[in-house]
Amino acid sequence: MTTGTTGTADEAPLLATQPPFRAFFDDPRWALAIIRATVLEAAHPQIGAALADNSTFVAHPWRRLRNTFLSMRRMFDADPAVRDREAARLNRLHTRMSGSDSRGRAYDAMDRATRAWVVATLFESAVTMCRLSGQPLDQATMERLYGEYRAFLAALDGDAGELPEDLNDFWRYFDRVVEDELENTEAARLILYRLFDHLPAPALLDGMPALWAAGRAVVGPLLGAITVASLPEPYRRKAGLAEMPGTPTLMQGAYLAAGLTRFLPEGWINAETIIETLSLSPDSDDPRARTVTALRARMKQASALLRLLTPLSGDAGPGPDPATSQATGGGQRSAEEFFRQVLDQTGDGYLDWPDLAAMARELATRLDLDEPQETRLYDAFAAWWRELQAALDTDGDGRVSADEYAAAVPSLAGPALIRVAEVLFDATDKDGSGTINAEEHRALFRTAFHRDLTITDGTYDRSAFVGDFLTFMAGRRRNTAYDALLADA
Amino acid sequence: MRAVPRHVACVMDGNGRWAQRRSLPRTAGHRAAEATVIDIIEAARAAGVEWLSLYAFSTENWNRPGTEVDYLMRLVRRVVRKHAPLLLARGIRCRFLGAADRRIPRELAQDFDDLATLTAGNRGMTLTVAFDHGGRRDIVEAARSLIRNGTQADDVTERLFADHLPFPDTPDVDLVIRTSGEQRISNFMLWQVAYAEWVFPAVLWPDFRAPDFLTCLHTYRCRDRRFGGIPPQTNGDLS
Repeated sequence: MTTGTTGTADEAPLLATQPPFRAFFDDPRWALAIIRATVLEAAHPQIGAALADNSTFVAHPWRRLRNTFLSMRRMFDADPAVRDREAARLNRLHTRMSGSDSRGRAYDAMDRATRAWVVATLFESAVTMCRLSGQPLDQATMERLYGEYRAFLAALDGDAGELPEDLNDFWRYFDRVVEDELENTEAARLILYRLFDHLPAPALLDGMPALWAAGRAVVGPLLGAITVASLPEPYRRKAGLAEMPGTPTLMQGAYLAAGLTRFLPEGWINAETIIETLSLSPDSDDPRARTVTALRARMKQASALLRLLTPLSGDAGPGPDPATSQATGGGQRSAEEFFRQVLDQTGDGYLDWPDLAAMARELATRLDLDEPQETRLYDAFAAWWRELQAALDTDGDGRVSADEYAAAVPSLAGPALIRVAEVLFDATDKDGSGTINAEEHRALFRTAFHRDLTITDGTYDRSAFVGDFLTFMAGRRRNTAYDALLADA
Repeated sequence: MRAVPRHVACVMDGNGRWAQRRSLPRTAGHRAAEATVIDIIEAARAAGVEWLSLYAFSTENWNRPGTEVDYLMRLVRRVVRKHAPLLLARGIRCRFLGAADRRIPRELAQDFDDLATLTAGNRGMTLTVAFDHGGRRDIVEAARSLIRNGTQADDVTERLFADHLPFPDTPDVDLVIRTSGEQRISNFMLWQVAYAEWVFPAVLWPDFRAPDFLTCLHTYRCRDRRFGGIPPQTNGDLS
């Protein structure tokens, strides 16, 4: 995929004549802006409830960032067919998230006013990102940008009636929502406090807990402070977010520094490359993976040396905690680990339908499924959820806790799970040949066949596929391909 | 005279007696052993030995008094951490044979892992530290691994069996040095020592030094190895 410039300006209604709006996504400031937009979205009671229940943001932030990025990319693609398809996909995705939650609050991800707010935060954050980094947009550019975001909403909703037509009215609308509707929701607090404190390592740095912990200890709070300082003042007041001396300067400095990268030669900073590299699993056979694997080996050595050189505190020095999961290795993992890494996708400590829906969502996104296959996949996961619930939810609270899971692991591979494996196989086997070839395998796992797979004649047949899926899902064995798919942050 | 042995193994015996002779606690003997270990690693490397194995702790050693075991664990951890940069700088690849017991403290296991990771790329000399090692257990593990792989009984050969032992790239041991005059195998690398030459210097391990090591190498080089009729090439001794 090429990045930055989209030269074809002849017929591109969303793109006007200049390419700057797509170029936004290649801007490092975009990452700061998207975090800020997410907090503002989460502060909306409806979105907050949906996020708290459905989002994998806390447990798998890097995957979520990547998916958001690619989705935004598609929504602003020059080709209308790509945009329409993505809009349809997003709509299906949000339809499945609608409903009322078990704690009495109703939310609906298809609610028009709510969706308008999401688009509004994205637009406002893009404008703010330019303003904070010392390159405010002029009125004409801002209006054109606003037009594009309204078109974005129209592509999703059919029309953009929920957002004011005029930019001046938009600011009044935005301020009103911030003043009247935003709340100090659980989801916003979760992002601001828990995510930055517990930000899991991206795939690239997984396995180097010491190194990641050291970096995160500095970057996590910093990101949090920057995000808080960039939020609208009325919201900060309402949510009781502390005014820390110096943070506005820090925040402006961060935006400014990120903005300065525009003076770097073109192609030096490329959001997609960065995101793709971070989510690159070292076992992948991507051409870059060799470099990454080499780099990773070096970093592993560096962190090993770092640990060995750290003076022992007293005689019984405390080892780095996350190391336990590494030490158990050997293809096995504890039920607790599997629950945390794979099953509990939303990271709330319970296995619930949104966790399995998140898995189905990730698989459907990877395979780029259309209807009716997407629905078949969701249905299979829903049936599996009923099976799990019946077998594991011993206290009858409607969800499965880590303890309930650990107590009943062996009964996990029932007929419904086998059905999931078969539906997934059919969806992956695009050409219906009865076997998965290298290309189909790559679509699902982003890597070619691995040596440890039971491959005959360069293909992967149904029974082997189902067998591997079951052993992985029953938590009995690690599987590099599935780990990269469902366990990576 | 034959070439320098490719793979030398040392059974580090006599630490306790060394301490008792000086009316010191047994633990003092273990501490004194550290200097010898470093001396011998350097001597072996300089002499052109490619593989050096040290028998540090056997599966049976868990039966020793708890305080001595605890002390040993702490000592080993300190030694590993202290010499890690040096081992890396000298191009020595370190790895730990055995080291599977749950009784090994987690921190120590982590240090073993770290040292192995750190020096994995080194090509100078391979140092295998047999820690919590038992020769029979390794053989049992290999048998288990063969059975798990569904190998047919008729397909099992010595070569295939050896491939299922831990660290299958380890060549056969050419020379075993057991200090302190004790003449026993003590369940040490049973498979790999099949055709090894043995020397039993009377000196205790803490007193064993580079010149003693070179004397042992010389003794080996003067010996006539016959391999029970098997051609010498199979042993990797390609002099």
